[in-house]
Amino acid sequence: MTMSDTSEASSLSVRPERSETRRQVMARAIRAPGVLPAATFVLILLVWEASCRVFAIPSFILPAPTRVLGGFGAVDTARWLEHVWATLRVAMTGYFLSIAISLPLSIMLSRSEILSRAIYPILVVIQATPVVAIAPVIIVALGSGDLPRVVITCLITFFPLVVSTTTGLMATPPELIELSRSLRAPVFREITQIRLPYAVPYLFSALKISITLAIIGAVVAEFVAAEKGLGYYIQFSTSMFQVQQAWAGLIVLVLLSLILFQIVTAIQRFWFPWSLPGDRT
Amino acid sequence: MKRMIVKTLLGGAFAATAAISAALAADKVVYQLDWLPGGDKAPIYVCIQTGFCAEEGLEVTIEGGRGSSEAITKLATGVSDIGSAGIGALMSAKAGEGVPVTAVMSLFNKGPHAFYALVGSGVEKIEDVKGRSVATSPFTESNIYLPLVLQDMSMAETDITLTKADPGALGPMLMTGATDVIIAWLTDVSRYTGQAKEAGKELVIFPWSAAGLELYSASLVASDKFLKERPDVARRFIEAYKKSIAFAYENPKEAAEAVAAAVPELSVENVEGSLKDAMVLVFNEVTEKDGLGAFEPERLKATWERVSKAQGLDPTALDPESIVDRSFAAGS
Amino acid sequence: MSTAVPAIRFSSIGQVFRTGSGTLEALRGIDMTVGRHEFVAVLGPSGCGKSTLLRLTSGLIRPTSGTVEVFGHPVSEPRDDIGIVFQKPTLLPWATVEDNIVFPARHKTGRVGGDDREKGRVLIARVGLQGFGKQLPAELSGGMQQRVGIARALFMNPDILLMDEPFSALDALTREEMGFELLRIWEAQPKTVMFITHSIGEAVLLADRVLVMSERPGHIVENLRIELPRPRGIDTSNNKAMHDYVGYLRGLLLKRAA
Repeated sequence: MTMSDTSEASSLSVRPERSETRRQVMARAIRAPGVLPAATFVLILLVWEASCRVFAIPSFILPAPTRVLGGFGAVDTARWLEHVWATLRVAMTGYFLSIAISLPLSIMLSRSEILSRAIYPILVVIQATPVVAIAPVIIVALGSGDLPRVVITCLITFFPLVVSTTTGLMATPPELIELSRSLRAPVFREITQIRLPYAVPYLFSALKISITLAIIGAVVAEFVAAEKGLGYYIQFSTSMFQVQQAWAGLIVLVLLSLILFQIVTAIQRFWFPWSLPGDRT
Repeated sequence: MKRMIVKTLLGGAFAATAAISAALAADKVVYQLDWLPGGDKAPIYVCIQTGFCAEEGLEVTIEGGRGSSEAITKLATGVSDIGSAGIGALMSAKAGEGVPVTAVMSLFNKGPHAFYALVGSGVEKIEDVKGRSVATSPFTESNIYLPLVLQDMSMAETDITLTKADPGALGPMLMTGATDVIIAWLTDVSRYTGQAKEAGKELVIFPWSAAGLELYSASLVASDKFLKERPDVARRFIEAYKKSIAFAYENPKEAAEAVAAAVPELSVENVEGSLKDAMVLVFNEVTEKDGLGAFEPERLKATWERVSKAQGLDPTALDPESIVDRSFAAGS
Repeated sequence: MSTAVPAIRFSSIGQVFRTGSGTLEALRGIDMTVGRHEFVAVLGPSGCGKSTLLRLTSGLIRPTSGTVEVFGHPVSEPRDDIGIVFQKPTLLPWATVEDNIVFPARHKTGRVGGDDREKGRVLIARVGLQGFGKQLPAELSGGMQQRVGIARALFMNPDILLMDEPFSALDALTREEMGFELLRIWEAQPKTVMFITHSIGEAVLLADRVLVMSERPGHIVENLRIELPRPRGIDTSNNKAMHDYVGYLRGLLLKRAA
């Protein structure tokens, strides 16, 4: 987002008063959205490949990009999709469950100080408990299947959602609440028409954090117990000494995370453009 | 002509019905792994892929596992019927809580534990680990026996510098010199050898049996419920399983292909390597003496002595004979 | 102004707030009336309780002592026949200008009818925002945003308009322009206006009467009728009488501050 903003600003400020020199053309091409990060990425890959070859780094320490590419071929596309789907299914179920719990909880917390004082410490305790540490306990308690993995994902994602949404609900300008009260409007409309929309920017910043956390949660759960999924695939490949396969799995995982993050960003940009900071003044 | 067609149709229908009823009649068995799939678990995949299981009228599904304790818990709670687990874990579970699980057949009649070092590192015999840095993974069963092995060599744990690391990190640590020695299983010999080769190094391996650690380890264990309610199925399964072990021993490549077909994440070479490594623990001089799958009373007793001592359990808390039932594997 | 029932009447109002560390006396012994369609400016130092006057009038808070009456009836709960314009426009950033103006209807009843829309369009024209109905607040200047705020306050067609330093966030030029704009709207459709400000010039320029409040606990120290001819405009700013009023009030406030 920052990238496209700066490029927009710069393309506005550059006026083609006279014919551009070659250097100016180059400079503009570099500033085109995506060019710089893509170039950096390619450069990193080249350096990586070259160092693996020049220093003869064994692949079990760091496999060269070309070998990682080979790692993608270890299983066919259908099998990859099965792993991606398993992780995605758990991550998304946990994510949406987490949202479904967080929103009403945040509304309750923002409305009642007593409730807030009673529940908040419990939330902090849950958040302070390392999920990795209790994951095995959850698996034992909830058995095999998706449920324990979904619960683990939920535990890891819901805290930022609750904190951020509650903050957003409380950040509504007091004038609008006075306006609402002077209109003697019902409380649910104060929440739906004023507080919740005002919390949207906060909600989305938490949604963006949580979507990547959801993937982490699913992977943590798969490390502990799973027969499918990218986390399982990576762990499996590592214990079978197939490091390039593990790297391939890791790359797919990162891509999945990035795509999901971009989807959340796109949803905000499309349906809630006003909630993006600094787009207009 | 017309009669013949009718006859053929009827025949076909009968055959189809028979096939369907056979499929319906197939006994369902859930097999419990004690770790991730791999070459050392080849027999069960052979059993399914080559049809040994189906021949005995069994429909086997595989339940994944993360360690012997978890596998035993799943068997005890009825998630699965029969599977593999370390006998040491079964013994301590029996001594502690009396879980309803019984060993029916031995798989590894030697401990798989070993020290790995690099040629030229100065570790030339097992006693040379003294004063060295040794890396192990946090949850391996080997850690339990380590004090006994050291004791047998008149060493204490303070005589080595022990560090714990992720199983996947042990190989690289050894090859890069981050540690002098690692503790790993004999089922991974070919994998570590492959890593060493890539790093231009050569391995030297010291099985702990060389230091006097003679015991049973991985075994076929079954839930008591399964053995009691479906003894016939259990017998047929063990029969098929034995055939599968023999097949895997004689045809490692085909066996590896069977595993790779079921678990596409694994390559055939990888499986074949660890399968061959594992077979050394199944077929050896002990097998020649006692037979495949046997629980020889003296060796079983010695195993319990080792387990109880290593885990600080009361040696009288368990009669090792009470955890095995040799009747199901009888016949060979 | 001779009508028997004033639009707003405060009788011996005292206001004490409980705070974390004790109590805070905001108002003491306030007696005042605002006539129907009268434009009254309330002038005073920061923190003297000027805004409390507005919140008492709108029924958002109840006085600790004394009574507040609106059109002869004691105020006991929030009233929707009073429009409020806040210091900041506080518009809904996700709603268009038009939707912001009709928001009171949507918020009170849950829906916006065709006649509400029509009313919204009339108000957009009245505050001089023709052609901006579909814009978002962030696309408007500060002055234009405050015009939307005024239109929203006028939407329920209130008899009383309460304004809490509505132009204080604007630059000087826009501020003056908005003052004249407000007078134009007020003269076109007379309302009772209570206008809080700490700009002496603004108070004199706009109001029929200026109430000067003391620092906390706030009470009224001067009640000054401004006898400047209407309609007022740029010429009024240069008027000698205007300067006299401003000079007098400034002296009063400075003396009190000293």
